[in-house]
Amino acid sequence: MLGVILNPYHLQIVSFILINIILGISIYITLSSGQLSLGNAGFMGIGAYTSALLTINFDLPIFLGIILGAVVAGVFGILIGIPALRLSGVYLAIATLGFGEVIRVIFVNWESITQGSIGLSGIPHMGRELFKTFSLTGFDPDMLGLKNNQFIYLLVVLTLLLVNILLIWFFIRQNKSRVGRAFAAIKMDEKAAESMGINITYYKVLSFTQGAILAGFAGALYAHVMAYISPADFAYHRAVDILIFSIFGGSELIWGAIFGATFMTILPEALRFISDYRYMIYGVVLIAMMAFRPQGIIDVSLLNWFKKKLKLKRGGSLGIRTKKYN
Amino acid sequence: MRNSLKKVYLLISVLMVVMLAACGEDNTNTSNASENSGGPVSAKIGVISYMTGPGAAYGEAITNGFNLALDEINEKGDVKIELVIEDSAGKQDQAMTVAQKLMSSDDIVALLGPTLSTEMNVVGPEADINGIPIMGTSTTAAGIPQIGEYVFRNSIPESLAIPAALEKAVNKYGVKKVAILYGNDDLFTQSGFDTMKAEAEKMGLEIVTIETFQKGQSDYNAQLTKIKDLQPDLILASALYNEGAVIMDQARKMGIDLPFVGGNGFNSPQVIEIAGEASDGLIVATPWFGEKDDPKVQEFVKKYESAYGHKPDQFAAQAYDALYIMAEGLKNAGEADRDALRDALAEIKDLDGILGKFSFDEDGDVIMEPTVLIIKDGAFQQFE
Repeated sequence: MLGVILNPYHLQIVSFILINIILGISIYITLSSGQLSLGNAGFMGIGAYTSALLTINFDLPIFLGIILGAVVAGVFGILIGIPALRLSGVYLAIATLGFGEVIRVIFVNWESITQGSIGLSGIPHMGRELFKTFSLTGFDPDMLGLKNNQFIYLLVVLTLLLVNILLIWFFIRQNKSRVGRAFAAIKMDEKAAESMGINITYYKVLSFTQGAILAGFAGALYAHVMAYISPADFAYHRAVDILIFSIFGGSELIWGAIFGATFMTILPEALRFISDYRYMIYGVVLIAMMAFRPQGIIDVSLLNWFKKKLKLKRGGSLGIRTKKYN
Repeated sequence: MRNSLKKVYLLISVLMVVMLAACGEDNTNTSNASENSGGPVSAKIGVISYMTGPGAAYGEAITNGFNLALDEINEKGDVKIELVIEDSAGKQDQAMTVAQKLMSSDDIVALLGPTLSTEMNVVGPEADINGIPIMGTSTTAAGIPQIGEYVFRNSIPESLAIPAALEKAVNKYGVKKVAILYGNDDLFTQSGFDTMKAEAEKMGLEIVTIETFQKGQSDYNAQLTKIKDLQPDLILASALYNEGAVIMDQARKMGIDLPFVGGNGFNSPQVIEIAGEASDGLIVATPWFGEKDDPKVQEFVKKYESAYGHKPDQFAAQAYDALYIMAEGLKNAGEADRDALRDALAEIKDLDGILGKFSFDEDGDVIMEPTVLIIKDGAFQQFE
């Protein structure tokens, strides 16, 4: 029964959705302090290459590689974040876009290590490695009525799901904390926030670095799910894709990024039956969104409306609550 | 009002039931046919192709080639093949998801494609693990068939094409010194360069300089001036045709009239269209030569032209032959089974196709004699 529902095709799509959600959150975090960064593809590349090279050349366990990938991306985030502080708006976007391209060109030209545009193959696959450990303990997927490759992808999806839940939980908590309020204040008005005693430098670099770490983390996961990466994966198309996740879903709320990443990953797959036209529809959807709902699909008022509905359905006998924003 | 709505719902539900029933029937039909060992083997083959995006022209040529071969094969009736064609948009992750989709359907016995070598690097290992034969028809980078024993290709790799062209050029022009020019941000041209360099060193040629350029570059004067000063006897250019044609044009304008040797990506009639007279002297080795004096080739060209309105290119020809190879494999296997098909494919020898006599080596790579062509007076001609 389980074996019929868990089609590797669907599991594969779900695993891409989960990785894209992390990417969506990474741009949401930088946007939440009012900074538009297009360098997330570059940070993603740093994370992916770091983890891939460490696991290939030094036989590091995958989870350590992924963590180090995120850390290295974070270090670059601090290095870029501090000088980029002087820039805002479009100028920051251009500078970070340039950074992303520089990173890609380094991957292309540093052939002795990255193998240039041929790319790195033979990266240990997360699911297959997990499967090996499970096999050692004497576990056989047949006990659940699953085939080997179904089980491998199920493991990948479950791992990613766990990671996603933790991340989303963390960032929702953060948004309600002093840090989240500081981000929101800076986004609203930098000068006013500063006069209220918020350390702008600190919080801006913090949000930029958090974005970089998340992008690097997602990149490292991507490398171990695909088992092959090449510099073309981290070109500016990717930066734009990531930005679309958050902009489409709504950049005010973390749920916007999550919704955007999910929707934008499913859309091309769901439209497969019209083959040649699917990317046209993708474009039309984006244009329609920009025209009719420039703030993104999910915004605060939609969320409140939804909550009210939910409350009414439950009977709404809990009395008046104070409004909550997450 | 309510009544009419009800009728609409009823109509829709009836339609859906009919559609469902139709689907179900279809399934049972195919499974019956494949179990029936007396008649011809019938099988479904999945195709992963690059049909939307900047490289959609490749995918189109490839699927055209498949469809043309499909009609002929089914008409002949030795085997009955059904193709399930899916788009990858040239992206690795999409190629991977769609490969999963095809592989998880049990009645698909083999995969053809994906179009790009980068996609194959992702899909190949997965297909190998799942034990489904996969054959690339346009993946020329080194190391593809070595991914696993279920991975094949029928496109001649750079490591076969470039040495053939180089050897003939060196013998003809008495070359001693060569200059190499290549695009370093593309898998295709990079792997072509690796072969060129290795081959030039093996043949004891002096490499005077190695110059690089990037995709979409429009000014090559810096590299060409340097090459001109060093006075090589031959220029090796690992470029795709769009950049390659511009390079030749600028070289001729600068007064460099040396012959060029190019890789697979340089081999396109587009070069002549873009560079005009400047393209004279380009030497490439290719499995496909549309003017070949072979009735099979001429028939294919004629059929293709009448069906799609233009001449077939290398990619269409390779796809056409690939499906014939699959058909031959299925016929020899005698059943629509993935493992049986793999073994049958591995044993294919000297199969006559429009590209020439075709065999697989022990890795699943191509053994074939490529034709060396040169552009002369604005047309590709056989190079002697």
